[in-house]
Parts: sequence; structure tokens; C-alpha cells
Amino acid sequence: MLPLASILIEVVGKGLPAISLSFLTKSTGNITDPSSGIGNAIEGTLILIGVTCLIAVPVGSFAGIYLAEFGDNKFGRTIRFLNDVLAEFPSIVIGILAFSVVVIAIGHFSAIAGAVALSIIMLPIVTRTTEESIKLVPSSIRDASMALGIRRWRTSLSIVLVTAKDGVITGIMLSIARISGETAPLLMTVLGSGFYFSGLDQPIDALPLRIYSDYKNSNYPSALAQGWGAALILIVLVLSLNLGVRLLTRGRSSFARARA
Amino acid sequence: MDIGLERLRNMVLDMADLSENTVSTSIDAYVQGKDLRERIYGWSEQLRMLQDEVSELAVELIARYQPVASDLRFIKSCMEVAYGFSRFGRYAHDISDVFGIFGDLSKCDKTTIEQAGDQAKNMIRVSIKAFTERNVELAGNLKKMDDVVDNTYLDFVRKSASNPLGDLKCTVSGTLILRYLERIADHATYVGESVLYIVSGERTARR
Amino acid sequence: MEKFKIQTEKLNAWFGNNHVLKDLSINIKENEATAIIGPSGCGKSTFIRCLNRMHELVPGAKSSGVVLLDNANVYARGIDPVTVRRRVGMVFQKPNPFPTMSVYDNVAAGLKLNGIRDHQKLDRAVKRSLELAFLWDEVKTQLDKSGTSLSGGQQQRLCIARALAVEPEVILMDEPCSALDPIATAKIEELIASLKDQYTVVIVTHNMQQAARVSDSTAFLYLGQLIEYGETTQLFENPTEELTERYLTGKFG
Repeated sequence: MLPLASILIEVVGKGLPAISLSFLTKSTGNITDPSSGIGNAIEGTLILIGVTCLIAVPVGSFAGIYLAEFGDNKFGRTIRFLNDVLAEFPSIVIGILAFSVVVIAIGHFSAIAGAVALSIIMLPIVTRTTEESIKLVPSSIRDASMALGIRRWRTSLSIVLVTAKDGVITGIMLSIARISGETAPLLMTVLGSGFYFSGLDQPIDALPLRIYSDYKNSNYPSALAQGWGAALILIVLVLSLNLGVRLLTRGRSSFARARA
Repeated sequence: MDIGLERLRNMVLDMADLSENTVSTSIDAYVQGKDLRERIYGWSEQLRMLQDEVSELAVELIARYQPVASDLRFIKSCMEVAYGFSRFGRYAHDISDVFGIFGDLSKCDKTTIEQAGDQAKNMIRVSIKAFTERNVELAGNLKKMDDVVDNTYLDFVRKSASNPLGDLKCTVSGTLILRYLERIADHATYVGESVLYIVSGERTARR
Repeated sequence: MEKFKIQTEKLNAWFGNNHVLKDLSINIKENEATAIIGPSGCGKSTFIRCLNRMHELVPGAKSSGVVLLDNANVYARGIDPVTVRRRVGMVFQKPNPFPTMSVYDNVAAGLKLNGIRDHQKLDRAVKRSLELAFLWDEVKTQLDKSGTSLSGGQQQRLCIARALAVEPEVILMDEPCSALDPIATAKIEELIASLKDQYTVVIVTHNMQQAARVSDSTAFLYLGQLIEYGETTQLFENPTEELTERYLTGKFG
């Protein structure tokens, strides 16, 4: 509790003064310009999250469904093991991987490279939480559906997955919170920039990168203030995602109803 | 429920002994010309009350425990058998009434009636034994014994009908008593049929 | 001459190496309620799960033998188990409505998820099924309420309605009342009596009195074997087998 509180106090204290509408909307441009903002960093983070989800969510949830419903064999156990290994991979190594594959292929740093790296980080989390959520759906629900003469795959998608959706969404949101703070892979893939989004194959900025580069330029007071402001925004983002998860799982949880 | 069934059984056996006693006493009283009406009436009344108690206990057991199979058949039979024993008491009562109606009957030839009376007493004893031991063979014997009593009764009636000059008092009182003995014999066979039902679930058609 | 809706011949079933059903040959009469009774673990639930090919869904489960539905073997090569399950419906011990769906959607689930989209058809089917399940009057104004917001007895009737909506010919019930209070139980028993006209009902129950109340024929299973099968009144008043007699009078199980 204490470390969390002290961090929050520090960040809020140093970052709040920097927040303003222009701060949030203007792009960074020249770092020494005191009127520079982190609008592009916010935009960049959001775009990266979006593209990453586009890649990782379908793959991860289908993998999770497969493992939960059909994964009791050797193949399933292998996949599960590989998945767990991937989850423990140092993110910087994943960054190197994405660098050597995507950045080299395109020729320069790009947003898509970053999205690829982040999706490799996100994938195992989504797979695991999806699998767990589906496994928690009581077998009586599955039985009831099968007894009605509903096909296996239809049962898995329309009945089981829908019942488990709260858990699956929770998993996705938590993994988003995780990747929005990842810095190392981004260093090697998206580079960062002072400008707004200009294409998936172009470098893009992101909050963690902004914080890092502000740290590097911290002898400039405006950069320092900007850094704290960016940190504050990032923490707000992560906390609100977590809060959202908390709100979702309380109350009308279909999970709790299914298990009652 | 087993305790209930045991209680039911004991009540029926108590009735059995009492009814056997009651019938024997009434027959002997007739044969020996003694007036034991008070006593017989009392016992007959007791038997009736016992029959009510058996009925109530049986219904309570059914309502409470919803018995099935042999337990259910046993309870049903107890109700029927208790009714039979109470009928024994009733007929014993009727036999002693004869003394009140006809007064002194010492001049009558009571041999046939005495024989039939012995047969009836025997049948009661056999039926009780069959019930106590759930002995189907013994129960089967009752049918033949019943025929003997029936024939004795019918013979007596026919003989009396073809001999109008006999003593009216003796004829009528004798007929009445044989009639009661015949009914006692019938009920004894019914007890035997109940024993068969308890053991094998078979029901015999009533003639 | 009564028709037999379902006939099993030498039905055997295993869970792994555990031989749970042994050479069962039972004939279920059409438009009757047949009760399956026996002590815990005698294979009652396994038996009915073989009738709608649900048994094979359990990992490691096997079965052999013939199950005839209208004289056609449901285990024949080439028969799609899904079609069997549409003709033979099932209601489970614990009410299990789909938790994310409303009352309406629960009942319509079997139809919707098999491709029927016509709203009028669905509306009619839902109303009809809820009426058959004696639930219509209680929920007609709350069709969009969540299925799990109903009471236990109502939920079980909802599951029955859901099973009826796909218009099966047989309804299997696996101890449907064991999680319910006596009044809810009575409602379901009444319901079974009315369903007999149009459907064939097979009900597994460990409650002998319920079997006696509700069924026309009763089968007594013990350790996976059929001990006795006969008309209910006959079996309960005067069973033929010693084992049945002992079970009914509470000497074991």
C-alpha cells in the first residue's frame, strides 16, 4: 500500500501542474518548445493498443477456446506449455524479435512492428485467461446445450463463450493495461516521434516512450514537466482499465449466476 | 416403521387370543346351559374397540411411511384380520343371546352343534397359528374345514325342514347357533386368505 | 397392443474400465411414464444418458448394444447423434437455464441455435412450450427477465419448456425434483402426468414414492443390471424378485 501511495502522490504532484487541454492535444514537435504536448503520444498509445488487439484478441481467444474445449490431448498440452513459456519471455527479447523480423523487412521503425511485438506479449495472457474463463463455465450448461441437439462448435461459441464473456473481457482488459506500459519492445520497434500518426509503416509515439525520452532530456524543465504529465496520464489509463474490470466483475456477473 | 409394524402385529395377536377365548366360552356356555352373557358382551365390546385401534394405527403407518410391497400387504391384511376377529366376538355375542331369547334349552340334543362348535374352535386356532407363523399351508387347510361346518349347518336345516314335529325351540335355537358357527368358520377362512396375500400377494376370489 | 417407443437390447456401458451397465434390455412404452429406480450408483443416470447419446460425451466413456428408437438403432453407423438428441430431450437434476439469456431466449435457444429465425414461429413455439410446462401464466409478462431470476421450481419448468421447444418425442428426466421443495415437486409431477399424452417420459428417481405416484411402468436397477420391470402398481404391491422386495421395504440402499 505504502509504495503505491507514495508513487501516486509523487506522480500526481509533479504531473498535475502540467496537465492542460493544450497539453493533451498538442503534439510534441520540438522538445524544447514549452508549448509541446503529448497528444501524439496518447494517440500513438491508443493506436498501438487497437492494432495489437486486432491481432491478439481473435488469435488468443480462439486458442483459449480450443484449449478449453478440445485441449485434453498431447497437442493441447504442448500448446499450453508453449503458451506459458511465451508468457514469461522477457519483453525486450520480444522487441528484438520484432525488430529483426518486421523492422528489417520494412526498412525502418514502424507502428506495425510495435503492434506485432505487443501482440506477442498480449497473446499468451489472453489465451490463458480465455481458457480459464471457459473452464469455469459449469459443465451442466454445456450438457443442457448438447442435450438440446445443438452442435459442439455452436455450443462452444454461443453458449459457453457467451457465459464466459465477462471473464474473457476481464482478461483482455488486464492485458491491455499490461501492454500499455511496455517500453522495451517499443524502443526497438516504433522509435517514437514528435508527430501525429502518419501511417502504420511509420514510426509512432507512445506514452512510455515519451516518458523515456523526456527522462533523457530532463535537463530541459519543460521536458521534465511533460514527462511527469505523461506518466500521470499513463497511470490514469492503467488504473481506469483496472477499475473498469472491477466494476464489470461485480454485480450482474453471469459467471456468478452460472455457478449459483 | 418397523416398530409400528411390530405394534400392529401385537395388537392383532392380542385380539386373536381374546376372540378365541370369547368364542370358546360362548359355545361352552350354550352347551352347558350356563348364563355368561355379561362376560361375553364385555369381551365382544373390547374386541370392537381393539379393531378400531388397529384400523387407526394401520392408517397412521400408511400415511406416515407410505409403505410398499410386503409391508403394505401386511398392514392391509392386519386391518382385514382384525375385522375378522371382531366378527368372532360379535357372533359369540349372538350365540349367548340365544340363551336370553330361548331360556332353558337343556332338553335339546346339542351333539351336532357341539361338533360344529369344536370344528369352529379348531378353525379359529388354526387361523391364528397360520397368521402368527405366516404359514400358507395351514391357511390352505381352513378351506376344507370350512366345508365341514357348512355341510353340518345345511344338513341340520334340511333335517329340521323335513321334520315339522320336532321341538320348535330346539330347532330354531340350533339353526341360529349353527348359522353363527358357519359365519365364524367363513371368517376364519378369510383370515387364511389374508395370510396367503401377505406372503405371496395372491388374492382369492370371494365365493 | 402398446407400441414400444424405445427398446434396448443388451445395452452395456463403461466409464474407462468400469463396467456400469450390464446387458440391459428394457422396453419403454410409448405415451407412458416409465420410472427407473434403484440405489445410488446402480447406473440409472448412465442408462438414460445412453438413450440420447449423451453418455459418449464423457471422456473415456464407451457403450455397446442396441438402442432402438421407433425400431431404428440410434447407435447405427452413420447416425448423427445430434439428430437423436433433438428427438430425445433431457432435463437434469439441477435446473440449468442459460445464465446470460432471458426466459424467452432460453426457451427459444434450441430453435434459434439450430437456424430458425422466423420471429412468429419462435414466439409461437415459446408460448406453446411454456404453456405445456405450466409456466406461461407465471412468466408471460416477464419474458425478458433473466432466466436465473426465477425460483428453483420455475427454473426447472423453464428447462422443461426449453426441452419441449425443439419438439422431441421422448423426454428423459434425471431426478428432476431432487433439488426442489415439495410444492415445486408436486407441480412437476402434475406436469409429467399431462405430458404423457403427447410424449414418452422416462424419469430416473431415487424417491420410490415419486415413482409410484408418477409412473405407469417401473424398472428396478441394481449394480447395472435390470432386476425387475413391470407395471407400477404390480411392482410396488407385489414385486416378483426378492431383491426388489428388499429394496422397496428399505432393507438396503
